[in-house]
Amino acid sequence: MIKLSTLFWLVVVSTTGFAMFAVKYGVQSLEDELNRTKKAVVAEVHAIRSDEAEWAYLTRPETLDEMNRRHLSLGPIATRQLRTTLTDIPLRAAAPVAVDAPVVAVAEPPVESAPPTILASTIAPVSPEKPLEAAELAKPVSTKTLAKPVPPRRPRSLDELIAQVAASR
Amino acid sequence: MTIAAQRFDDNPCRPRHFKPPPCVAIVSDGPAKQALEACRTRLLVTGGLFALVFAVVALRVVEIVAVGGSTAESQIGRLRIAPAPVPSHADIVDRNGNVLAATLDSPSLYANPKQIVDAGDATRKLVKVFPNLGAAEVYAKLTSSKSFVWIKRHLTPTEQYSVNQLGIPGLEFEREERRVYPDAALTSHVVGYTGIDNAGFAGVERALDGVLKERREPLQLSLDLRLQYILHEELQRVIDDFTAKGAGGLIMDVNSGEILAMASLPDFDPNHPAAPDPEHPAISLADRMFDRITLGVYELGSIFKIFTVAMALDAGTSTTSSTYDASHPIRIGRFTIADYHGKHRVLSVPEILMYSSNIGAARMAAAVGGQKQKEFLGRLGLLEAPKIEISEVAEPHFPARWREVNTMTIAFGHGVSVTPLSFATAAAALVNGGFLLPATLVKLPAGSAPRGQQVISAKTSEQMRKLMRLVVEHGTGTMAAAPGYLVGGKTGTAEKVSGRHYAERKLLSSFVGVFPINDPKYLILAMVDEPHPNKQSHGYATGGWTAAPAISRIVQRIAPLLGVQPVDESSPEVQRALMVESLQGKRIEAY
Repeated sequence: MIKLSTLFWLVVVSTTGFAMFAVKYGVQSLEDELNRTKKAVVAEVHAIRSDEAEWAYLTRPETLDEMNRRHLSLGPIATRQLRTTLTDIPLRAAAPVAVDAPVVAVAEPPVESAPPTILASTIAPVSPEKPLEAAELAKPVSTKTLAKPVPPRRPRSLDELIAQVAASR
Repeated sequence: MTIAAQRFDDNPCRPRHFKPPPCVAIVSDGPAKQALEACRTRLLVTGGLFALVFAVVALRVVEIVAVGGSTAESQIGRLRIAPAPVPSHADIVDRNGNVLAATLDSPSLYANPKQIVDAGDATRKLVKVFPNLGAAEVYAKLTSSKSFVWIKRHLTPTEQYSVNQLGIPGLEFEREERRVYPDAALTSHVVGYTGIDNAGFAGVERALDGVLKERREPLQLSLDLRLQYILHEELQRVIDDFTAKGAGGLIMDVNSGEILAMASLPDFDPNHPAAPDPEHPAISLADRMFDRITLGVYELGSIFKIFTVAMALDAGTSTTSSTYDASHPIRIGRFTIADYHGKHRVLSVPEILMYSSNIGAARMAAAVGGQKQKEFLGRLGLLEAPKIEISEVAEPHFPARWREVNTMTIAFGHGVSVTPLSFATAAAALVNGGFLLPATLVKLPAGSAPRGQQVISAKTSEQMRKLMRLVVEHGTGTMAAAPGYLVGGKTGTAEKVSGRHYAERKLLSSFVGVFPINDPKYLILAMVDEPHPNKQSHGYATGGWTAAPAISRIVQRIAPLLGVQPVDESSPEVQRALMVESLQGKRIEAY
């Protein structure tokens, strides 16, 4: 008759044996996976290296210049295209339309036909040759508006506009 | 009867004379039987265990076969691999991280002919993948008696994949590395090239070979690829416009000594250094490999006058209002020093620089004296080989005995030959407040620019900036002007030495420009080797007609990239900042 202790040990041995093998196989498969991942990483690193070199080759200045010439025709930024200070940037014409409308009326009699279009043409486009034109244009306009009691002074710069908005609240 | 006795009796083949041995144990009940029972139990248990193990094995087999617990692919991981290979040399990148040189894996294909089963079939397949290989040659290799033959070196990843797809046994890959230069000739002289085993043969590759081997991170150079391209393109344009033999140039940050671009033309493709230039097959390899900026020593001519003027102002022998008689040529020994398009009158110091008067410069230098001149040029590093991170540098040539005639000729850039790099380094010190900063090709961390050695006073430096602005505003360098960017500079036109004489037709025209001159940031040097006059230049091939327009174009192209804000040149602040007191109120005669 099998003793109870023998049976117990038998069960213990087989369980630990099974567990050991299970763990061993688990570790092996994990190691396999690790190896696979490492190999994949190495392959990926190599792929990245060659991709980087290829990217550098495809984006070399010579190619970009050639493609620009073919598709975009962009040139170097000319000095006159640059606005270096905030005050150089003309304000958009649409915002101060309501304010300036009476001024136009002073300058040109046909009031009704005047509003936004004329203003846009006088203020908005800055001819490339004279970057400061817009700012200069703004001056007489603002003094004339000051003479009238109704509208606030037309802001000459973005900072001034922000200050005005802040004050009105 | 016992079991044993029965067996003997039952056996029909039992020899009749054989009697069972008398010693056979007669098993009866008792301890003996118990032992036998225990044995049986043990056998049973052992057998059961074996059965269990076999059952496990059988189950596993069923799992593998039926359930597909293990495929061939799942076994790939079990192939142990070498640790991730580190490239033998670090990459080289520009200051913005653009790759200038990279080490790529490029496997080479070899065959073991002894393992090749069907050489004919293998040849056919290989030639399909590599159309450049000759079928006969490949076949001969595959049928040779050796056990190792190269089929093709340095395969691309696509080629390697295709060969793997062929699945021909006996073909193997050898892992090799290859240095690749994506920008080809653009940075050839600076970056250099490598030979077999990726050993550096020229440029940074050679001088910093040890550093590149040790590093894992890319080495960041001070070069800016965009600027390099612009400089390279404009120099090529000058060569084409004036059918020149060659050209060289550099762009330097005057406040840190970093070289942002450096080019020497004609150049070579570092990927195939020995291959002839397909566009200009006549240009020799030696000429293309020659770095005019660091390895060439030249008598640079009039651009040297900035040193003469700075020396005289710094020594106190001249002020900006001093005048020198330039009405007659100077005869000294067998030399005659004359002016090219001279004014034939007494000239002030600003005028000497503006109109590039040899006579005036010679007189200024003579007033300072040869000893001081030698000491001054030595202080600016012009009497020693330039120190930079490439090994292709040349020693300057200067007279062993510094006589008065040498003093006078050196005043306008003849008699001393220096590398354009040394010149630019010294010129930067004249405008940046007087600090001589070592030129470097390696990017400096932000804010870590060296202090530099003070070689001239800050006041002299300020005066030099104003005088150099005059040259561009009214003098010989008007074509270098770039609207809004306040270029200052100096033209130079030197006659090249041919044998024992100066050759009048062989010029070395140059221009050194600095912008914005009111707060110098960048120095540009352009040098043209043997330009020929064209129709647009009205028969001139001088620095003011060849190199100066290139400087103007370069400034206009690079200033927006460098974030230099254009200014209104006629604004009172600018005018005041660049005003030369001694010329105030006087009419400045155009050159």
